[in-house]
Amino acid sequence: MSLYMLRRTGVYLFLSLAAFLSVFPFFWMAVGATNKSTEIITGKMTPGSNLVVNFQTLLSQVDLWRVFGNSFLIAIVSTILTLAVSSLAGYGFEIFRSRVRERIFQLLLLFLSIPFAALMVPLFVMISRAQLTNTFTAVILPTIASIFILFYFRQATKAFPSELRDAARVDGLKEWQIFLFVYMPTMRSTYAAATIIVFMNAWNNYLWPLIVLQTPENKTITLVISALTAAYTPDYGVILLTTVLATLPTLVIFFVLQRQFVQGMLGAVK
Amino acid sequence: MTRNVMRWTRTLAIALTGISMASVAAAAAELTVWCWDPNFNIPAMADAGARYTAAHPDTTFNINNVSQDEINQKLQTQLLAGVSDGLPDIVLIQDDNIQRFLQSFPGSFVPLSDSIDMSKFADYKVAAATYEGKSYSLPFDSGVTGLFYRSDYLEEAGYKPEDVQDITWNRLIEIGKDVLEKTGHQLIDMDYNDDGQIIMMMQSTGQWYLKDGNEPNIIDNPALKASLETFQAMAQSGLIKPVSDWTGYTGAFTSGEVAMVPQGVWITGTIKSMPDQAGKWRVAPLPALDGVDGATHYSNNGGSSWYVLASSEHQDEAIDFLKTVWAEDVDFYQGILVNQGAVGSLLAARDGDAYKASDPFFNDEPVWQNFSDWLAQVPAVDYGTFTPEARLAVRAQLPNIANGGDIDQALQAIDAQLRQQMQ
Amino acid sequence: MAQTRLDRNEQINGWAFVMPALVLLGIFMIYPILWSLWMSFQVGRGNNFSFGGLANIQRLANDALLVQALTNTIIFFIIQVPIMIVLALLFAVALNDATLRFRGLFRTILFLPCVTSLIAYSSLFKSMFSNDGIINQALMSLHLVSAPIPWLTDPFWAKVVIISAITWRWTGYNMIFYLAALQNVDKSIYEAARIDGIPGWARFWNITVPMLKPVILFTTILSTIGTLQLFDEINNITQGGPGNGTMTLSMYIYNLTFRMMPSFGYSATVSWVIVAIVAVLSIIQFMIARDRRRGA
Repeated sequence: MSLYMLRRTGVYLFLSLAAFLSVFPFFWMAVGATNKSTEIITGKMTPGSNLVVNFQTLLSQVDLWRVFGNSFLIAIVSTILTLAVSSLAGYGFEIFRSRVRERIFQLLLLFLSIPFAALMVPLFVMISRAQLTNTFTAVILPTIASIFILFYFRQATKAFPSELRDAARVDGLKEWQIFLFVYMPTMRSTYAAATIIVFMNAWNNYLWPLIVLQTPENKTITLVISALTAAYTPDYGVILLTTVLATLPTLVIFFVLQRQFVQGMLGAVK
Repeated sequence: MTRNVMRWTRTLAIALTGISMASVAAAAAELTVWCWDPNFNIPAMADAGARYTAAHPDTTFNINNVSQDEINQKLQTQLLAGVSDGLPDIVLIQDDNIQRFLQSFPGSFVPLSDSIDMSKFADYKVAAATYEGKSYSLPFDSGVTGLFYRSDYLEEAGYKPEDVQDITWNRLIEIGKDVLEKTGHQLIDMDYNDDGQIIMMMQSTGQWYLKDGNEPNIIDNPALKASLETFQAMAQSGLIKPVSDWTGYTGAFTSGEVAMVPQGVWITGTIKSMPDQAGKWRVAPLPALDGVDGATHYSNNGGSSWYVLASSEHQDEAIDFLKTVWAEDVDFYQGILVNQGAVGSLLAARDGDAYKASDPFFNDEPVWQNFSDWLAQVPAVDYGTFTPEARLAVRAQLPNIANGGDIDQALQAIDAQLRQQMQ
Repeated sequence: MAQTRLDRNEQINGWAFVMPALVLLGIFMIYPILWSLWMSFQVGRGNNFSFGGLANIQRLANDALLVQALTNTIIFFIIQVPIMIVLALLFAVALNDATLRFRGLFRTILFLPCVTSLIAYSSLFKSMFSNDGIINQALMSLHLVSAPIPWLTDPFWAKVVIISAITWRWTGYNMIFYLAALQNVDKSIYEAARIDGIPGWARFWNITVPMLKPVILFTTILSTIGTLQLFDEINNITQGGPGNGTMTLSMYIYNLTFRMMPSFGYSATVSWVIVAIVAVLSIIQFMIARDRRRGA
């Protein structure tokens, strides 16, 4: 029993240390948002009184509501479309096997490793020929068929019990009905995890939106942060404040979806 | 044919989306400008724009804050894709970065020497943006260098301002050791990911990383070798405080940590951003390299110029604007000197009143007059095409040199990396 | 007869499910990939390029910087990926234990880093690890070091910073996958093992790891590709320096494209080096998997 206690204490110590390291930069970021740039670079650790000033500076430089609206629009539409298209394909590749599709899938995995910088120029030519530059469509379209999410869903589908599908077939459900009414509810936690990831990727996407979105009124919050960071004399107070603001939505999404995990776990314990 | 159709479609699209009304668009021109520093070139451009709009109410300006990295990314992607949608009319580009644009994307920039008399500007600025006999830039700020120093620290260590006037780097190192010992302040701070310090020392002798067009000038370049040796001596004596980025760099002297700042004149605004240090700063000419032929006290670091893109639909307005304000308005240059500390390259601007004024921040020295005198003596060098490659190769060796690495081996390594990248 | 109809149905359904993704990928990947392949046979500057045959491949052979970028990438890969995956697994297993107190709190906190944007967290780490930054101040006030550690100005320490940053940001991310997968593991297997007196670590190695194998494989492949494409962190923290000490393949490609004389042909060629590496790794992995299957 004492060995058990010892091991337990070890686990708690390990987790506490990891938790401290995880959370410290957030603390630093939040404190920084209330300090002046000069105080931040010299490592001031206590909350200051510059929050309002930082806020005013930020508001004088960017149309914050607009920028957030743009980011939300892009991230939400991307997430819905990506989850739909990629989970369909992940399911399709795993459930209905054929030699041709296996080959295609292996090829896709290889494509996943091509650095985006190599594809950016031709992609930009395509988008501009389609008269789509400076539109959100141009940001969203190339990201919908995400090989990575497709791959993720295929891996997750391996755990989808085939008995469920067989039973549904016996009940006379069509394949699309099985996907919609059996697969999707069963794989709730997979969808939840994928939502977090896709939303974050869309929200944080940088290089492609930078090239495609051209006018200030179409900028996303990530582009704003990068512009602030790349400034000649970066104002770290304003940067950290913007970082806090930009992190909040992904944090909320995460907290909301986390319940899905918790429910899944409770269900499994029962 | 297709081009016309496309243009027509676009006009229609613009009219439909109501971004701008056709009647207004026909008469008025809005010039879009990309530049990057909200404390420097952005307000300078805004001032120039306001002056032009006052005389030509139909021409307005839309000045965007776009960082240098973003300019590289967007301009290059679009020029290569052959897409001009969303490109600005006027763009600011750093002098040592322009040749690769001119050579990689011929025809993408408007040769301004066709309409503007380039002899009005400092030679070395014009040379930086000349390609196949034509000059493409409207030269803007100069990076003429000076040695900014804290006279109070110097005094504390027993030195007078005369002691740093027209000296050599070796002498400065001796002084630096004394200052460190007596006051605890290191001499300078430096980001080892930036070779500006090396460039300043080297260019003061009229040498550059490249010569005769595009031949690497590394191994048999005594000025570069002496610059690296000087840098190593300073680092090994503990006179350099290493920093990791620009904020750290400026922080080390605005906080009073280091005693001196050898830098281009554009750093003046940053130094003066600390009003409580007024009267403590002075400026001397840059120290000269020891034992190198052609060593002077005058050099350059940084500086950028304006370019008009060939894709601009308002080329005429853009050129006329640069010509009437940036190439003629001496009064305008006095304003940006006082407000932004911008030392322009228009030679006539030096005769204005602001340039003659003395500055109480710098102990009532006539700093601007000094800088413009030095400006005229900066040895001109040909940046060549592969300066970015050369700078990356030199930077790669700086940490090793600072730690006492062999200079000849470092030169070999720089030469090897540069030659490999020059293709 | 019925069998073939069923087969045909399977085929139709198989294609129907993957078609939307394939069409989109066909449009937005195939053309850019073909362009990039074609470009890798071109030499020249910017828009002035011409067919160069295998010139770019010859250039690869003499490129010392490419070798350094490759070496750095491999160092990051060998050190960082195992640390991260083992940590993520340990976290996931510890948090999956229903008897653990503050489980929800720990889980939330450990997830937190992966909600930050790459640019934001990179600049955060850069400011924390600067010479006078909070990390050095903390280490010095705890008397762990006597002089500030040159985190970002020394090639070795800069690598340490990059590895710490990536581990901080991505461990929770990997943990998500493991936790999600652990929910699909039947708890009764653990119960049976516990009753049989099999110790915790043996349960970990003999039950958890094999059950999570598909997910571990998945995250390993992702991390491999992620390391090969490591760019945002490098670009925002060190830009490949100091002394090329943190230059990675993707940073090098970016430099070739945007910082140096733009030679798109050569940067496309270097991109294909990454693809070739992944192809080789996949073949190795495939052969290992096959051998194991034979052995079993």
